[in-house]
Amino acid sequence: MTWPERHPRLSQAVLYLGILAAWEILPRAGLVPRLFVPPLSEALGALVADHREYLGSLPTTFGEILVSYVIVCGGGIGLGQLVGSSATAQRMLLPVLRSAYAVPLVVLYPVMMVWFGLGSQSKIAFASIYAFIPTMLTAVAGVGALSPALAETARAFGATRAQQILYIALPASLPSIVAALRLGGALVIVGVIVAQMLGAAEGLGFLITRHRTLLNSPGVYAGIVLVLLITGLHELLLRGLERKVAAYRQGA
Amino acid sequence: MTRALVAIRGVSQRFGADGADVVALDSIDLEIPDGQFVAVVGPSGCGKSTLLSLVAGLRLPSSGTVLCDGEPITAPMPRKVGMIFQEANLLPWLSAVDNVAFPLKLRRVAKAERLLAARRMLELTGLAGFEDRLPHQLSGGMKQRVAIARGLVQNPAVLLMDEPFASLDEQTRMVLGDELLRIWSETRKTVLFVTHSLNEAVYLADRVVVLSARPGRVVDDVSVDLPRPRSFAMTGGERFGALKDRIWQHIKSAERR
Repeated sequence: MTWPERHPRLSQAVLYLGILAAWEILPRAGLVPRLFVPPLSEALGALVADHREYLGSLPTTFGEILVSYVIVCGGGIGLGQLVGSSATAQRMLLPVLRSAYAVPLVVLYPVMMVWFGLGSQSKIAFASIYAFIPTMLTAVAGVGALSPALAETARAFGATRAQQILYIALPASLPSIVAALRLGGALVIVGVIVAQMLGAAEGLGFLITRHRTLLNSPGVYAGIVLVLLITGLHELLLRGLERKVAAYRQGA
Repeated sequence: MTRALVAIRGVSQRFGADGADVVALDSIDLEIPDGQFVAVVGPSGCGKSTLLSLVAGLRLPSSGTVLCDGEPITAPMPRKVGMIFQEANLLPWLSAVDNVAFPLKLRRVAKAERLLAARRMLELTGLAGFEDRLPHQLSGGMKQRVAIARGLVQNPAVLLMDEPFASLDEQTRMVLGDELLRIWSETRKTVLFVTHSLNEAVYLADRVVVLSARPGRVVDDVSVDLPRPRSFAMTGGERFGALKDRIWQHIKSAERR
């Protein structure tokens, strides 16, 4: 067994530290131009110096992410369960959805700005449409994973309809629901930040774009650090949820 | 007069709506006394599995009645009838012991009590020490042992087995067959065992019921007069061969049609 296999957590920490150290050292050594990537300390310095501005951008950003998240996961997972449980609906809709998935939806953003204006609505609309189809497709795949044989086995052992849902259907589809939440969340974050970068008057993406046009690289990277923190937070929440789901499946 | 534990009386099963009826089973009459090991064989598509699902209460016959212990079966009666399928059909997120305890959980038996019963059943089926394994950590034969333990956990009088060893390899099938006979001699359940293997039927059962091709009718009811305990050596014997040959004649003529 190699060292990373024996110490997975420690080697993970080493990997993270290595990336951060490279971020600091490579620009300072002149191996990467500072305009492209400023040292980590400069990005953090910009974040601290302008913390009012950056923190001020978060409520709008979080609000937009949250509303889109509810739309995408509520609608996408709900609709995914419906489509997944009907073979006809799957045959009819899946080819259409899969080809729609391949369209770069970012081309629609200018249209959405015309429809919804420069405010939050256009960001929510874009992020929701951007994340909806992949989230729904993930949820559909999970419903298909439920085997009719398990349901019949439960019935032979006297399970009522409610018990079949509680002990068979729900635990069987939970992992795909969590997978759909993870994908939907990540795509919503991307969608909101990109929309803010393309045209907005506030928000984290707007700040990043503004600093970029001023060629203020530390300012750009300060924003990127915050985006990383948001995605990291999302991942952390989902891991917690995953543990709860695993415990429910085994103990319910 | 000794009453049959399982009685199948004038049972027919038709599938499909109006004109396009398919008759799967046609006026089946069978009386199975308590403690008997009955194998059901027949050409493919003769309705053997349908017959089993009627006794399991998973479906209702189009006509006729199925009785267990004198009571008509209209819905699954898991406390009287335990079912084992071709695939183990274990819940993949539950450990072996939790899978075995699952039928008890459906009846809201207290946790300590159901785990105790499940452990005892795993011990009976030779899986002591594997209680906490998840299904994907078990071999095919072990999974089927878990399924047998689950079928026995409520101590039902009747055990229904629908080609339980069909998806296992030859050697595992033979080992599990002997294991099943050991468990049967310890528990004295009434067993209704559907199989497409004539060897398996003659080796395991007291009695082999032969169904015809669709519509399924009882064409022969063979009493297996081989002594118990059965041994592998018997499978090469004259009597074993004669019984198998008698059953094969029915199947051959049915499959040719």
